[in-house]
Amino acid sequence: MTTESGKIREQDVRGQHTGMQKPRIDGTLKLTGGADYAVDRNLPNQTYGYPVTSTIARGRLKSLELDEALAMPGVLDIFHHDNFDSLSRSPNSFAEQNLTSEPRLPFEDNEIAYHGQYIAFVVADTFNHARAAAMKVTANYERDDGAITDIKALDSGEGELPGEVQEGDASSRGDPDSTLEAASVKLDQRYSIAQECHAVMEMHASLANWEGDALTIYESSQGVVFQRNALSKIFAMPPEKVTVISHFIGSGFGSKLFMWPHAIMTAVASRRLGRPVKTMLPRSQEFTATGYRPTSLQRVRLGADDSGKLLSIHHDGCNESSPTGKHDDTVSGSTPKMYACDHVAVTNRLVTVNKCPPCPMRAPGEASGSFALETALDELAVQLDMDPLELRKKNFAETDPADGLPWSSNHLIECWDSAAKRFGWDKRQSTPGAMRDGDELIGYGMATQSWEAMRLSSSARVGFRADGSLLVACGTQDIGTGTYTIVAQTASELTGIPIEMIDVQLGDSSLPTGPLSGGSFATATVLPAVAAAVKEALGQLTELATAEGAPFAGVETDTIGLENGELVSGHRRLAVTELLAHNRLGLVDAEASAGPGDEQGQYSFRSFGAVFVEVRWDPEISRLRLARVVSTIDIGRAINPLTARNQVEGGIVMGLGMGLFEQAEFDHSGYPYNANLADYILPVNADIPEIDVELLDYPDYRLNEFGARGVGEIGLTGVAAAISNAVYNATGKRIRDMPISIEKMLTA
Amino acid sequence: MAPTPYSRPGVGYCTPAAQAEIAERPSAAGGASAGNTRNVTLSVNGEQHRLALEPNAILLDVLREELGLFGTKKGCDHGQCGACTVHVNGRSVNACLMLACMQEGAEITTIEGLARSAGYEQGQHPIQEAFLEHDAYQCGYCTAGQMMTAAAVLNDRAVAADAASVNDAMSGNICRCGAYKNIREAIETARQRMQGES
Amino acid sequence: MRQFELESVEKVDQAVASQRDQRRDAFVAGGTTLLDLVKLDVMTPERMVDVTHLPLKRIEKLDDGRLKVGALVTNNELAHHELVKRDYAVLSEALLAGASTGLRNLATTAGNVMQRTRCPYYRDPAMPCNRREPGSGCAALDGINRNHAVLGTSNRCIATHPSDMCVGMVAVGATIVVEGPQGSREIPFEDYHLLPGDTPEKEHDLKDGELITHVILDAPRAGGQHYLKLRDRASYEFALASCAAIVELDGDSVASARLALGGVATKPWRAEAAEKALIGQPATRENFERAAEVALADAVAYSHNGYKITLGKQAIVRALRDATARTTATAA
Repeated sequence: MTTESGKIREQDVRGQHTGMQKPRIDGTLKLTGGADYAVDRNLPNQTYGYPVTSTIARGRLKSLELDEALAMPGVLDIFHHDNFDSLSRSPNSFAEQNLTSEPRLPFEDNEIAYHGQYIAFVVADTFNHARAAAMKVTANYERDDGAITDIKALDSGEGELPGEVQEGDASSRGDPDSTLEAASVKLDQRYSIAQECHAVMEMHASLANWEGDALTIYESSQGVVFQRNALSKIFAMPPEKVTVISHFIGSGFGSKLFMWPHAIMTAVASRRLGRPVKTMLPRSQEFTATGYRPTSLQRVRLGADDSGKLLSIHHDGCNESSPTGKHDDTVSGSTPKMYACDHVAVTNRLVTVNKCPPCPMRAPGEASGSFALETALDELAVQLDMDPLELRKKNFAETDPADGLPWSSNHLIECWDSAAKRFGWDKRQSTPGAMRDGDELIGYGMATQSWEAMRLSSSARVGFRADGSLLVACGTQDIGTGTYTIVAQTASELTGIPIEMIDVQLGDSSLPTGPLSGGSFATATVLPAVAAAVKEALGQLTELATAEGAPFAGVETDTIGLENGELVSGHRRLAVTELLAHNRLGLVDAEASAGPGDEQGQYSFRSFGAVFVEVRWDPEISRLRLARVVSTIDIGRAINPLTARNQVEGGIVMGLGMGLFEQAEFDHSGYPYNANLADYILPVNADIPEIDVELLDYPDYRLNEFGARGVGEIGLTGVAAAISNAVYNATGKRIRDMPISIEKMLTA
Repeated sequence: MAPTPYSRPGVGYCTPAAQAEIAERPSAAGGASAGNTRNVTLSVNGEQHRLALEPNAILLDVLREELGLFGTKKGCDHGQCGACTVHVNGRSVNACLMLACMQEGAEITTIEGLARSAGYEQGQHPIQEAFLEHDAYQCGYCTAGQMMTAAAVLNDRAVAADAASVNDAMSGNICRCGAYKNIREAIETARQRMQGES
Repeated sequence: MRQFELESVEKVDQAVASQRDQRRDAFVAGGTTLLDLVKLDVMTPERMVDVTHLPLKRIEKLDDGRLKVGALVTNNELAHHELVKRDYAVLSEALLAGASTGLRNLATTAGNVMQRTRCPYYRDPAMPCNRREPGSGCAALDGINRNHAVLGTSNRCIATHPSDMCVGMVAVGATIVVEGPQGSREIPFEDYHLLPGDTPEKEHDLKDGELITHVILDAPRAGGQHYLKLRDRASYEFALASCAAIVELDGDSVASARLALGGVATKPWRAEAAEKALIGQPATRENFERAAEVALADAVAYSHNGYKITLGKQAIVRALRDATARTTATAA
């Protein structure tokens, strides 16, 4: 493995643009207020929508009292079950790219499945008027007792987890049950993680406008094509009559992958009123109506021999789902691939709770699963009196242990070693509480990080313009990861046209179909499509250039390449602008697609990393702080190390939130207790530790010609476990329930 | 080349005809339909704007929906995130918790006017340049608020220059993308450059 | 956001004359509490009177050594004022531990005195809350009460008072000056906020038409001062437990002490019995711990906030230790 990649590395010639740190091409727009997020625009005759939500968690809506609200200043209409348009559900298919987050349509019936469910939608001439009227809508309910919002309360604490087994999630190899039985060292522990909210800074927002029978909707979306397709099914319109635009997104982390009902309400209201309707959800509704990382319960059983060799792994997961939309977080899904072990069984279960549907949240499944598995390994290391890093090395998987395929490229050992060295892991004292600095006890912890490297299909269009600029267009999005910039870098690399002359257009469903911005697959998916489109456009330029009487007439077409915006063959050069001028053309453009190929059955594609953390615990004031994080990540080639490193650092910060703070709370009646940014605790500037992120640079050319595997998720994985393990090292307290809040530390 | 040609300072993407129509239509943030409006002149980024506003119009909504200054963002509407931070008479404040009508006579600066307000007629404020270089953002949504607070903190002699003081002073601006490390570095770079100028 | 009228006044007597009924009329200055709660439909004024033009923006040293703080002095101005930093460090620290840069630039001294609880049930009109709607019940009693009080609670309300500044003011000692239809009167700071008892809706001792014009801080106290705020994250969060401590030493023993608590009580909490327990005792950890026990002796825990009893004691012990250390440092 190492040798192979080493060879690849020797052959690799770093590009002029790809692999280089580049400031974002959209940076100036973002830094001057010019970037147009979904509702950063006013349309003529525009109105404002504001949803009204259920204040019970379970029951039926008997009636609405609307008279007072309708009489309020500026109110145009109020939409609800009795007057809403008759629509069709989206087929809700990932393969057909029309998945929605909540298949149930708004106001479809009067059943109330969760606190915060939409029960009406007020439209008024101003935002203030819409909000004021929404406050005056009164609902009468028939309340059912027994709303479930806490799956931990359903867990007996031993044996099987609660919930319904998901057949598709279960996998098994070897004979894990009897192997565990016979193992000399055993561990059987339960872990849990509280519900987390994406808490995106830009609330979900839509601005809908109908022109005749065509709908344009500006949306904060991680998937304009998915939303376009879903809306076309819901409104029974041809897809080309729907345009979804999302030039800039105030982050998504998964909550904006698949459309939520506010967009449908907004579009219906706009059609009914014949006016544009702008809706930005209030912050409170972000906690009840736009998904979340579901609470998970996990049970991990490990069997090992005395040397630390893993003999068996059982990993059972259970996560919340919703009456109005199923979501399986597959928290144990990656475990079969993590370590060399012949006997492995994983399952996942779902429990339906009275909340809106969960949805993917950054590193879905793996962020939760890695917490349990990597904490369990730390516990096993304690049992074995072994260094936790050595334990992991001992069980390094030379090939993918789940399917036996060779890794496309795997540098996990270097990640472990490099991060350990920079962190100073050798100074760790294994006895809890042995390291102290003044009032504070110091703890070190580590975990392995991982995320599957996926590549999907994408199309892209490239156009050479007469003014020398290059258009690159793709119906994907830049959610803050830097997609605009890496597309420009790539196009510049391939054509020699300076980055400043490259016009990247994304975030528009009318552009060639591009992927969702999620799953860390956008980079690996989009760039090959850009390359294919460049190649296609080059073919057209070549044809023009070699036509009879043209400057390259007679030149063998396969000798012609592109450099510095010029066609090149041997010593002959021809500026593309000149060629276009010669042919009186304003634009030569081409669209092409690219997708995964045979390599998918030949290799296993996965990124790995290692994270080491230092925590500080001041026991006399119960203050726990994350002091230092060192991470080394192997993501293949980082097209732009500046933005890629930022992704990993951001993942670490989110891991800090998961480990110490974040917890959406619901009381016994199903009331969302902390549905705001003051009570749902996110990390702030003063919480941020020293962070040292290293990106290894081993291009993975087996996944795509750019060697890039994507970077959005991996930084988050393992962080909560590393924190929990460090807390144990500092205090001897083993907290298996995230987040590690003050009261847990006090009672542990 | 910037990726989107759609956005212009002011009204965002719409045609000149549409812009003219917007100028004619009733107020959007304060609303005129109730007839309960008053004439207010707001000074924003050095320009005087005469507006008819309802008493309950919030400064953030007026900046965005009336004046088309969309650089200032709404992240919570309750003083819990800092995305709406603007300068009023040079101090950083949360525009979501201010009545627009009370700001008559005040000098309001938004991200669109930050550079000019600080005397950088050409180009950008050092904090903007430093944010670009350090990649001190990801999605960019909290970024205007981060920079408005940072610019004010850098000018505030009451806030010590040590890391702990600056980090605490910046803690009212939440960045869910977690670009804090780069934000810190950008602020430090901007401080050095601004000191070099003075 | 509901409609209201907005008027502006230039003089204190105009302001006083302008207000008829506290429930329907509101003074607005910084607006950080008021506008937040009006947006939520928790406060429902029909008229607001803009008092930001009143001449109440000065901080002045009085001849008797006290410090007179105008109602409109912002939290940041007060925290960074030279005399406050020098003579009332615990108040400066408390102010800076609260909220954020932007909010402190808006929030005023009087406004902070008038700050409302952060109980999520109070902040949502759909939920029962005796403080917001007398007689509707208290959802926090059997709901989630992790952030709620353990001192000064009643079976009608267990919401904490959220202010840091007020805790600092209780420690340094202060007087609230109000101007009303009957003229001016002074209220000892500690008497201003009311325990919830049977009437949690009555939060303070302010009559209709009365306007806070000043807060006068007692003459500076001798000794070391420290404000310690414990919370989940490191900044921009309300206290789970906080302690403002002023300790004056006579040799190794405590000559005088002031202790005030935040985050654990229904009002800014003076721990007077704990102060008394310290006086004349050696400034040792054991005695600090004893004082902490005294301070929390009457604490009542609810289902999720029992940890606050421990945390409150910890805040006291550490704040006393660090305040004492500053005394020594000053002496040396």
